[in-house]
Amino acid sequence: MKHNEYKQMIHLSLYGELSEEDQKKLKGHIELCEECRMELEQQKYFLTMITENQKYKVNNELLNEARAQLRGALRSKKTKSFSTFPLGDKIISLFSSPPRLAFGAVAILLAGFILGGIFFSKKEIIIQNGNQTYTKASFSLADTRITNLQFVDSDLSDGKVVFTFDAVKRVKLNGKVNDPEIQSILTYAMLNEQNPGSRLNSISAMENYGNITPDKEIKDALITVVMTDENPGVRMEALKLIGKFNYDESLKQAYLFVLLNDSSSALRIASINALIQAAKSGDQLKQNDIELVMKQANEDDNNYIRLKSKTLLEEYN
Amino acid sequence: MESNEKELLLKAKQGDQFAFEQLVYRYDHSVLSIAMQFVNDPDEAKDIYQEVFIRVFKGLKKFEFRSEFSTWIFRIATNVCLTHKSRSKKEMKVSIYKDSTDESDDFSFKEIVDNSVSPEEETSSKNLGEFIDEAVGNLSERQKITFVLKHYEGYKIREIAEMLNCKEGTVKKYLFDAVKNLKKQLKPFVAYQI
Repeated sequence: MKHNEYKQMIHLSLYGELSEEDQKKLKGHIELCEECRMELEQQKYFLTMITENQKYKVNNELLNEARAQLRGALRSKKTKSFSTFPLGDKIISLFSSPPRLAFGAVAILLAGFILGGIFFSKKEIIIQNGNQTYTKASFSLADTRITNLQFVDSDLSDGKVVFTFDAVKRVKLNGKVNDPEIQSILTYAMLNEQNPGSRLNSISAMENYGNITPDKEIKDALITVVMTDENPGVRMEALKLIGKFNYDESLKQAYLFVLLNDSSSALRIASINALIQAAKSGDQLKQNDIELVMKQANEDDNNYIRLKSKTLLEEYN
Repeated sequence: MESNEKELLLKAKQGDQFAFEQLVYRYDHSVLSIAMQFVNDPDEAKDIYQEVFIRVFKGLKKFEFRSEFSTWIFRIATNVCLTHKSRSKKEMKVSIYKDSTDESDDFSFKEIVDNSVSPEEETSSKNLGEFIDEAVGNLSERQKITFVLKHYEGYKIREIAEMLNCKEGTVKKYLFDAVKNLKKQLKPFVAYQI
């Protein structure tokens, strides 16, 4: 057995993960081997140092805060789900517990104001949204989702009321893919949209257009997606699209990152192929990069990647 | 799965809020601890905690007892941790520009080595714990979650493999690489002390 294997056994032994048989083997070796004895001591010291200097520990205060926030969030989820109930149940449910009672009161008050605004248009409702203030006449509530309503002035003695709320409205945008504003929205979506299908579609829209604006922000966003998106399909789509940009250091680093870190062999293959293609065009790897590729050439689980990594090292660098 | 937990689960699946809270309280300390070690920030840790249990709450009706409830929760927790960090824009900007300009992968510790500042001098202005946090923060997401689960939380490699949905060998590799990487980053301190 090689030293390296004993060193890994030392590591597992300190974490209590070594079988009895291997533990005996290791003990026998350590008695004879000075280097591995040192390694054991160093490893012990190092892991203890990390444990003893642990900065954050969970205390009751933090746990209680987290629990309180969770309760609030769950309450809000439940409140949302009432909207699917029949109207009669919904009204009854609004009064079934104190938080719902409060929600019910606010909802009815809001409904009253809206209906009042519609049927008694002489009464004025002022709606403040962020820094902007609207009157009822200048603000349409149609198709708008309202959340987080808070009163600024709830005194009805002067017949007026002021409140703030978050209004989310669905927007339909029709435009060409090469329009910078459209691309900016698609770029935002590929990074932030929760639904992987939407992220994928945002990238595909730009890819299928074929003539993408060589914008640094889009390229950086795509590299971020390639390196971090949780969904391999989305990462692959972004990887294909970055191939349309001029090859440079940031792209090379992105391909190397994927080659060394991505769990999907398809992505690693696409990356090694892109690196080979770049090498054919004369872009050589630096010494530091060569060492990384060399590691991959020896350690990757996938035969094709190991072979291609060797090809890249032997033929082009 | 102990019978008491199964009863609570059945009740929670039918909408019993008290039962759901009892289930949460069994595991939430561990979930918050994992999140805390992973992000090193109390507010972000609370966000992860909330996201985990909201996903548990939403997914409870579909839970079919094919795995241990605890395994399912911690699998969700590790996924949320990995997603949380990977979708953090600030974190990514750092890694993109560092990767494209740095010759070595010594991250911010490069400065310490280059300037030949002894760890003793350095630690007088910065706590060793902060260096360790920074070094752990520089690990890849999977190395980091593996290290947190094994080193700080003490889970077995077999359990971590279940949580991350990968082979035990892969977990070992992440763990070895994580420790190797941490040793490299904290080299000045280790070399100085031993």
